[in-house]
Amino acid sequence: MAALKKKVAPERLNFFKAGLIFISFIVTAALVMAIAALFMVPDVKDVWESLQSEEMIFSLKLSLWTGLLSTALVMVFALPIGYSLSRFQFTGKGFVKTIIDLPVAFPELVLGLCLLLLFGNTFVGKFFSALGLNFIFTTQGIVAAQFFTALPYACRIMKSTFDYINPRMEFVSRSLGYSMFETFMNVSVPLARNGILASTVIAFARCIGTFGTVLILAGGTYMKTEVLPITLYLNISYGNMGMALTSGIVLMVVSFAAIFVFEQTEVSL
Amino acid sequence: MSFLSVRDLHIDLGEFYLQGVSFDLDRGDYLTIIGPTGAGKTILLESIIGFWSPDKGAIYLGGRNITSELPEKRNIGIVYQEYALLPHFTVYKNIEYGLKKKDPRDMKEKIVEIAEALSIDHLLHRKPATLSGGEQQRVALARALVVEPRMLLMDEPFAALDPQTRRDTRILLKKIMSRQNTTAIHVTHDLNDAWALADKVAVIRDGLLAQFGSLEEVFKRPRTPFVADFVGATLMEGTVVDHDHGLAVINVNGFTMRTLDSVDIGTTVKLALRPEDIIIATRPPQDTSVQNSIRATVSTILYEGKTSLLSLSAGDTAFTVLVTNQSLERLGLVQGDTVYAMIKSSSVRVVDSLSMKQ
Repeated sequence: MAALKKKVAPERLNFFKAGLIFISFIVTAALVMAIAALFMVPDVKDVWESLQSEEMIFSLKLSLWTGLLSTALVMVFALPIGYSLSRFQFTGKGFVKTIIDLPVAFPELVLGLCLLLLFGNTFVGKFFSALGLNFIFTTQGIVAAQFFTALPYACRIMKSTFDYINPRMEFVSRSLGYSMFETFMNVSVPLARNGILASTVIAFARCIGTFGTVLILAGGTYMKTEVLPITLYLNISYGNMGMALTSGIVLMVVSFAAIFVFEQTEVSL
Repeated sequence: MSFLSVRDLHIDLGEFYLQGVSFDLDRGDYLTIIGPTGAGKTILLESIIGFWSPDKGAIYLGGRNITSELPEKRNIGIVYQEYALLPHFTVYKNIEYGLKKKDPRDMKEKIVEIAEALSIDHLLHRKPATLSGGEQQRVALARALVVEPRMLLMDEPFAALDPQTRRDTRILLKKIMSRQNTTAIHVTHDLNDAWALADKVAVIRDGLLAQFGSLEEVFKRPRTPFVADFVGATLMEGTVVDHDHGLAVINVNGFTMRTLDSVDIGTTVKLALRPEDIIIATRPPQDTSVQNSIRATVSTILYEGKTSLLSLSAGDTAFTVLVTNQSLERLGLVQGDTVYAMIKSSSVRVVDSLSMKQ
């Protein structure tokens, strides 16, 4: 095989191949420099002080609990949605798939606007208010915004995870007397372990990083609905670089951790 | 009413379909379904077990209409070519899985018993990924059989195994099936499976049941040219008269055949010959390694494309031989000629496995 490869690959430079690789490296280099700048520019003392500020602590806490809550909700919905899209044929499947995928390509600001209108003075909004849930300019709104932004990613990962699980394992389980639900819990979910992990970390990273949707639906109110991206945005506007850079660094660390875990699970998006 | 009755089954899954399939099986029957890839064999199995609901037709099991019953209520076992073992369970837990649901009494005893019968008792603590294909398939068989299903369905269970493992597993399966008297349906494209295990054979093509009957019926009296071509072999019957240097000598109606398969002297056996395994000579062959040489008369010649099928008769026994038209021309064969059919002893297969030594 190795000998064969040697024969096929010509000695002279292949400009097409070299060109493509060069382009990949140029873009990667630009990104690496941009990311490095985030860590190089601020001085450590400034970041340390910013981390201890009341505003940053508030923002970190709020991001953490809204992010965790949204992620949990996302997973509660992504598992059944991913499974139905992977396993079942039903009328309207294409429609469901398109609509759930839509936010991937949807500007966050527009999604936020749509949610704002929906939870405003419509029957849906009134229904949720009756249950004690108000989404407009509240922390509950942050969770709603994060939920709808992150859901499509989690659904996609879950669908492709279930696509890779041989349905015959489920068939065998049913032939041995287990109902569809029991089979789902005993066979499908344990086998989807890696996909569930991958989609949880990706969903969490998306939730923590959601800006536009949160800004429109929950508002970017100082020390009220202020999550990390809002902290970054508010402080940039005040010219308070230390705070802005610190929230940027925290967000970056979360994304890196998420991508690292995601890569380990070898799941396809 | 028979034990399993499939009545006018229609199902359309796009790529695969069945049209008007009907057949009956008695308790303890072993049916092999043969047919080309994509003929609809697997969806027939999966309809019987309940994973697809038919568009039309009905399935009766033990006199009850089970057509719309949930698969988990049918108590039918299934074994797939790719084993479909649960990778996150050990062998023991895989076998235990069905028992836990259906009959959780004396689980340990039952698991050890079936594991011993299938020689996997030393593997119980291992994970499926660490086992060989043959071992995994025996675990899948154990998992299906331990719950004592009313029927066992197998979809190309030996296709992924090497020839030796395939033979061993076949013998093991035969033993365990006759012990439990389980009714079985076995989809295969390997005719050896049919010969070794089946008492009934169904040939499926393009979603239609081309022929259904006893093993003998299908092989001896193929109803359509397709079945004849697909099953292809001639069956003959003889008595084992001697053992000679490890070969069994079998007397078939006036001539003898030698085979590598081991059978006891005095038993009556069925032999299978494939038309492409026979060589024709116009003069008595000399100085060859071939053990069997039969003097026969050409009764008919059937031309088909580049090759021809010769029907030969030796005494009361008839068999077919496949030759190229070029050879036919060179030998100048016509109807009524006397020829010598040469067959290697390894090509003479004893197909009635009950008489085969185990």
